[in-house]
Order: sequence, then C-alpha cells, then structure tokens
Amino acid sequence: MPPAGSRAPDSAETDASLLARAQAGDVSAFERLSSAYADRLFMLLLRLLGDRGEAEDVAQEVMLRAWRGIARFQGQSSYFTWLYRIAVNEANRALEKKARRPAGVSIGAQELQLPASPAYDPSRQAENSELRRVLGQALAELPPALRTAIVLRDVEGLSTQEAAEIAGVSQAAFKSRLHQARLRVRAAVGDQTLVTTGG
Amino acid sequence: MGMPGRTGDHQWSQQHLSHYVEGELRPRARRRLDRHARSCVECGRGIRAMRALVYAVQGLDGLAGVRAPATIFDRVRLAGPGGSSSSQHT
Repeated sequence: MPPAGSRAPDSAETDASLLARAQAGDVSAFERLSSAYADRLFMLLLRLLGDRGEAEDVAQEVMLRAWRGIARFQGQSSYFTWLYRIAVNEANRALEKKARRPAGVSIGAQELQLPASPAYDPSRQAENSELRRVLGQALAELPPALRTAIVLRDVEGLSTQEAAEIAGVSQAAFKSRLHQARLRVRAAVGDQTLVTTGG
Repeated sequence: MGMPGRTGDHQWSQQHLSHYVEGELRPRARRRLDRHARSCVECGRGIRAMRALVYAVQGLDGLAGVRAPATIFDRVRLAGPGGSSSSQHT
C-alpha cells in the first residue's frame, strides 16, 4: 500500500474511474482516490485543530464519513471540495466538543507557524518569532467558523467561491466571516506589530 | 440625504478594510475609502495593517512537507465494503 497522500505516478486510472469504482463499493479505489488529497487534508485539520493527535483522529473519521457517503456524492462539486467540506464539518464538531469540556483544555497554537526568514537578522528573527506566536494565538482563539474562514481563504489560499462552498455558506456570508476573523486577529495582534514586523 | 460626514466615512472605512484589501469594493466605494484614508491616519494605518495581516497569515505554512499519517484509512479498512452505503445497493 503506498503511503497516504501519494499515488503511484504510473497510475493510468483517472479520478472519474476511481470514483465510479469507489461508489460501487471498492475500498482500494476509494483509498487511491482519496490518498491524493490526504496530506493537504491532514494539514488543514492540523491548522484548524492545532493538535496533531486530534487531527489524526479526525482525519480517520473524515475518511470514514467520506467512504460511507461516497455513494451519495453526485459530482456537483469537485471531490476535493466535497472531502474538504467533510473535514471542516468534522473539525468544527471536534472544536465544539472541546469547547464544552472544562476550562484548562485549550487549542494549541504550535501548529500555526510562520516559516523562518531566510535572511538571518537576529532582531528581525526575534520580531518574526513574536509575530508568529501572537498570530498563532490569535487564530487559535477565534470561534471555529471564523477560524475556518481565515484558514481556508488566507492560509490555504482557496478562492472565496471554493472556500464558501467548503464552509457551507453563501459567498456573502463567507466574506462577512472572513472580515470578522481578520478584524479580530488584527485587534489581537495590534496594528503597530503588524505594520512593523508583518509587512 | 446628504453626503456622509467624516465620522460616517471613518466608521464605514473601518468596516470595509478587509474588502478593500481583497479588491472587492466597487470603484466608487474604493474611491470613497481612498479619499478618506488620505486624510485619516488611523484608516491609512488600518489598510497597511490589514495588508500585513493577510501577508503574515498567508505565510503560516510551517506545515509544508507534513504527511498524512499512515493510519488515515484505518477506520475505512475496518468498515470494509460493508461500510459504504453503496455496497448495500449494489
């Protein structure tokens, strides 16, 4: 079995034929179809959940739900969008469950990291490190719906249309969430920090 | 109704900074915000801060190279063909 997230390069099978086989109940076809998106999906879950162990658990659940629901997938969106939507729903479900737990269990921000600057400048590195920490914390503290919006649009770089579809809301509602998320993060980080270290 | 005053422009501009940096404002609205920001230090800084924020968040890709765990299909394998609703009909 190839590792999750990769597909043999000599594969001549198209997503369409893998999908048809998966919909007919072929587990291996489902795995091959879905493994092409597994790495990206896992990174999304890490960003939304901020905890590797939880992301692994939710990733398994996402694949199980996708497998159970694949017969009903009608191709109105791309398979990637459909799978991502399941992932966002499951991540939000996990975050809501976590929010209901007693205080003291917080979402980790360690998975939300900026890359280190390639040019070594100790003072700049320290500033970037602080920005990473504050940004990660601000994102971790957003309500799930707002966090999803900023992760899908700004971190994942999806279009507004695709991100809205994955989030399961209209484009107008998605833009509103994104705007709210940015406002909250901006307020948490502070304009001065953003302008001096983030630009 | 007359033109919105400076306070109205300021509140409106603050509410539309995200849409402004997204390039989603209509030309007339964009000109309104541009005009206000030229004379408003807070909104001028707000535009720079919002751009910097989007740039910084776009850089949150420290996960590049992360691979999905090998266990990702474990539950699917446990469920087997019977776990897909399709197999109940085919």
